[in-house]
Amino acid sequence: MITILLFLPVFLGAAVLLISRKVVTRTALLLMPAIYIAVVLCLWFGINWVILPGWLNIYFNFDPIGIYFLTIMTVVYSAASIYSLSYFKEHNVSPQKEAGYTVTMFLFAASMTGVILSTHLALMWVFVEATTLSSALLIYFERKKSSLEAAWKYIYICSIGISLAFVGIIFLSIGSKSVGSLFFSDLYQHASQINPFWLLISFVFVFVGFGTKVGIAPIHAWLPDAHSEAPSPISAMLSGTLLNTAFLGLIRYQEIMIHANQEYFSNFLFLITGFLSLLISAVFMLQVKNYKRMLAYSSIENMGILFIGIALGKPGIFAAMILLVAHSFSKTSLFLTSGNILHLYQTKKIDSVSGILKKDSLTGWLWIISLLSISGMPPFPSFIAKFLIIKAMFMLNLGWLAVPFFILLAVIVYGMSVSVFKMSFGESEFTATKPGLNFSSYATQIIILILLLIIGTNIPDMILNLIKNAAGFLN
Amino acid sequence: MSSIIIILLGTTMLYVFAASRIEAYVKTLSLQGIFLFMLIILDIKELNWLNIAFLVLETLIIKAVVIPYFLLNVIRKNEIGREVEPYLSQFYSLLIGSAIFIFGFVGAFWSAKANVGIKPLYFGVSLVLIIASLFLIVNRKRIITHILCYMMLENGIFLLSLSVANEMPLLVNVGVLLDLFVGIYLFAIFFNKIQAMFDGNHIDILTDLKD
Repeated sequence: MITILLFLPVFLGAAVLLISRKVVTRTALLLMPAIYIAVVLCLWFGINWVILPGWLNIYFNFDPIGIYFLTIMTVVYSAASIYSLSYFKEHNVSPQKEAGYTVTMFLFAASMTGVILSTHLALMWVFVEATTLSSALLIYFERKKSSLEAAWKYIYICSIGISLAFVGIIFLSIGSKSVGSLFFSDLYQHASQINPFWLLISFVFVFVGFGTKVGIAPIHAWLPDAHSEAPSPISAMLSGTLLNTAFLGLIRYQEIMIHANQEYFSNFLFLITGFLSLLISAVFMLQVKNYKRMLAYSSIENMGILFIGIALGKPGIFAAMILLVAHSFSKTSLFLTSGNILHLYQTKKIDSVSGILKKDSLTGWLWIISLLSISGMPPFPSFIAKFLIIKAMFMLNLGWLAVPFFILLAVIVYGMSVSVFKMSFGESEFTATKPGLNFSSYATQIIILILLLIIGTNIPDMILNLIKNAAGFLN
Repeated sequence: MSSIIIILLGTTMLYVFAASRIEAYVKTLSLQGIFLFMLIILDIKELNWLNIAFLVLETLIIKAVVIPYFLLNVIRKNEIGREVEPYLSQFYSLLIGSAIFIFGFVGAFWSAKANVGIKPLYFGVSLVLIIASLFLIVNRKRIITHILCYMMLENGIFLLSLSVANEMPLLVNVGVLLDLFVGIYLFAIFFNKIQAMFDGNHIDILTDLKD
């Protein structure tokens, strides 16, 4: 199964490039997520088969938290792939460029899968680097001046960040001489033998490195640019899966800190940067002029809340895991819908858009409902997650933290709602142009929102267990 | 012998602080690759042949020849001016460079005393390389100098990984190589595009996207 997930994209991608015909490209584009869905369903039901070669199993493994992240990734990836079809149509993409897009997307997905499944710290680092390289090409897909600037900033900032993470890994290997291996299982088992001094230093470096990819403040500079300039399905992938995979890297590192009883240090860093992200996001949310950048700042906000959740320990982690799925799904829906708006109005400026509901009511409703979901209105799961985080603060006698937390969240929700409602209601100035959106521009968002409602109202035991198992990883 | 090479490697960084021409940077980069190659040949005996072959490929071929050649090509093709154009003047740069060196040597002495099982001189100089290149990145206006300094940062990290006496697994080397090779490939592509699209190569031109 691992073999399929890691190697099939390469072979399929080579075939797509060689043939470079529209039918083949699009079939492959949809086939790959279908395979991901099949694999995830098998994993859910405990079926796992191993093809060859056997040594791969040492370096890659499905653990509960990995399966959880892979599931989220599969849903977002499938949605982005389906939406890509209408993106191709709306932008009149040539067959060659379609093939290039598809192949890069395969590599992007495969490298993220690699991050999720690796059992070796250095190998995970290699895959995180690979995600940067593949996604930079996708951000630059529209070949515009602004997308070039975004891609350059992204690749440069993330490359430096990831280099610093590598320095951190080297420091860890200095401190863990007695362990003599960088496999996570060995590191967890012998965490107490790791020299605390080197462990703490290495954590700082890895935190900065992977934190850059997560887009946590104050090292988030690339995130609004990249998210706003990438094609909408890619923005959804970046926000819904890429940030998560880098976050998973930090979670796995945090596990080492917990085993070494040094979590007071890492929790402090998680908490400070988490609140800083909320602050940055709140400040920019009030003055942002571009609706895709607005969504990007919302991603920074949600990553900040995830960090706060991790910092709060046991009760916070479960909440963070719920928020993870809530954020990924809602943000995917928002970014894909923003693709519809971009197509309808041909602008990313909030001020130039009004009356979406009149122009295309389905897009308008999707836009509003997705906003309700991301801002944490019941019955969406984001509400449960934020509620549980505030509860966790009180359980840990840190109730005073809930005050800035709540105020910052309120500011962010206010800033976002003002923009979204301004765009949705009112009169539409450009009624003459026809919508020209096909069914695949709506279907994925509707399915995702229904999934979110199911998770938020009556969560099936299977999904609950999945989340519980994932949260259990850090206990 | 290897100590002399390490010191020379550190000195190249001091030279970069003082140099004002971009081509000097590229030549330094190539020289650093050769020094790293010599270090590997002199110092590491316990590795297997596969790993050695790999390290030689990485340092002598990629770091010392391919990347400098590639970058030099980019520079000549795009008719980039010769000056590096720092924000701070040369004098202050050198002053800060010296401070970084002092810090590096303090690191070396400390690691020798603390006996943490790393090679002190390697450790100190690699710290110098890493911190100095980060400083240079912040202090230079040109996009091409950013790429060059990033490559120096990579050299520093490579030296740091050599300072860890227990060998780094082949896997990690693959990572470094991937980083270098694909990184430079993408950098060069994007750099050429920036040159063509923005008609300039200062970071000041990349200011379209902001809030």
